Amino acid sequence: MNNEKDTVVISRADQLWDFATRRQFLRVAGLGGAIVLLPSMFACSEDNPTGNGSNTGPNRNASDPVTLDLRTDIGIFNFLFLFEQTEVAYYNTAVASAAFAGMTAEQREIMTDLRGVETVHREFLRALLGSNGVGNASFNQTALSAAAATGAAILRTAEMLEDTGVATQIGFGKYIQSPDYLAIAGKINSMEARHAAALRDVREAAGLAAVGTAGTRFAGDDIVVPSGTYAGLNAKIEYPDALARVSATTFVKTRIEVSSPPATKAGTPDFGPPNPTP
Amino acid sequence: MTTTPNATILSAVEPDITQRIVSRRDAILKGASAAAMTRAALAIGSVPVALAALSREAGAQTMSVTDVLNFALMLEIFENEFYKAVLGTSASAAQNAAFAPVRAAAAGVAGAVPALQQIQKHEQQHVAFLLANGATNLLGLTATSFDFTGNRSAAGGGPFAAATTSLPFLLAVAQGAEDTGVRAYKGQAGNLMSNTVVLEAALRIHAVEARHASKIRRMRRATGAPTQVRYAGYVQGDGLLAAGVSNLTNVPAAVTAAFTAMYAGEGNTTHGGVNVATLSNIPNDIDLASAATMAFDEPLTKTQVVAIVQPFFIPSIPA
Repeated sequence: MNNEKDTVVISRADQLWDFATRRQFLRVAGLGGAIVLLPSMFACSEDNPTGNGSNTGPNRNASDPVTLDLRTDIGIFNFLFLFEQTEVAYYNTAVASAAFAGMTAEQREIMTDLRGVETVHREFLRALLGSNGVGNASFNQTALSAAAATGAAILRTAEMLEDTGVATQIGFGKYIQSPDYLAIAGKINSMEARHAAALRDVREAAGLAAVGTAGTRFAGDDIVVPSGTYAGLNAKIEYPDALARVSATTFVKTRIEVSSPPATKAGTPDFGPPNPTP
Repeated sequence: MTTTPNATILSAVEPDITQRIVSRRDAILKGASAAAMTRAALAIGSVPVALAALSREAGAQTMSVTDVLNFALMLEIFENEFYKAVLGTSASAAQNAAFAPVRAAAAGVAGAVPALQQIQKHEQQHVAFLLANGATNLLGLTATSFDFTGNRSAAGGGPFAAATTSLPFLLAVAQGAEDTGVRAYKGQAGNLMSNTVVLEAALRIHAVEARHASKIRRMRRATGAPTQVRYAGYVQGDGLLAAGVSNLTNVPAAVTAAFTAMYAGEGNTTHGGVNVATLSNIPNDIDLASAATMAFDEPLTKTQVVAIVQPFFIPSIPA
């Protein structure tokens, strides 16, 4: 078997939706091959190593690629760690933006709480993972700032990050092997659902988002399965979808590679969060 | 505090092995707690062993997947019947009549009724999902099985009677019910690991309950609840403070005790051996003391949950 068959290289977020790529992805994932997400869709590929020269571990250069083995709880928690880092990078930018001062007191309270809580999550995961952690990712400040140009953009981006985070964490739950780690993931997940609902609700109240039935957007029919066998269940996605969504933000410069997907586990059908519209 | 757990070791350490390393029996005989065992394990330098010791303690109430489904169904029927009574759609005319005054008050608050209808819709869907996936209504619960005033009597008249007339009181009770639901599901995740379909569905329901709790907190904050009730929907602090009910007046002692029980342990800041209240690398402009308690929701055991909800059930809930 040549090397090409062992690795799927994804250079654009939308390639995950491309039929040929997706089929190839599923086949390679089934063979335990590698999935590589290239940062080529990102605004720049600046390399400015700030770590200790190592390319693995908690002191890895932030711009070096990260390789995750999702067969292990450590790999899964490092994925969650990278996601929290992305959220914090954005929320730091949001609360420091010129637009933040123009938001309502309620909206500023939400964003300030959100930044504080996500920072705690990030540093908690860094401490929990210890020497098994992957260290910092590097971020595209231009893209982060561009997404924080207005209060409406801040709320929209935050909602997207939180709805995606909730759905991603749920998708990982079945792969977690340690009950202790599952319990920890659960403690974080309901928090993320609280933020997501608050952001959805505040966007409805500010007239910033379309809603089916007034007053219901916090747990609307676009984020909780509205009918059928799985009615009443929150959105859920699997990690390739999550990676594609994170990539689409162009916030993350660090290349994230999945060396091994999780062992197959039975689950429930995906229901992806919508990309919020302005 | 920085810890360095190793997943490979962690998954390999069985609680029974841990027991030999950290003698649980000795610890109990000496009146020690799980926390003390964890400290003992930490003292011998093993976070995985410490986690396994905690796991043994947390798993004291091991339940089968079917047990968990039945327990979840019981709670979802309770919530569904509660909201139906509030909205006037209960099969029991008496329940509908009891809540008529507060229903009129809710109708005067923009968006309140649609939000409660959406929540009730989800609770009904959760009931249907659980029934379709192996749960049994062991107590034969119906609309008339509940006394939402907390008196375990069809005649009502219990300490929560103000929920039928006062919107702030009703919303505080709804918040408590949702947060208790979140905590109950969280406490059962470990018991569902053998059935990943049910586990994933439960995690998805758990997140929906958290969305409900967030919305109700936001409705409360907008109508006079204290700042512990965050606009972001978080649970801040522990016990009665976390309930955020200082805006209620003439609160019976039994209600105060119930709110305290609903949020018992919510202020915990140590997770997997890491105390997040003392994390380093937190920027100075973040209020860590506040963020640390908000950042994690805590589980409840079945015993704790049953103690909280029993006053609203006319039949006795078996242990």
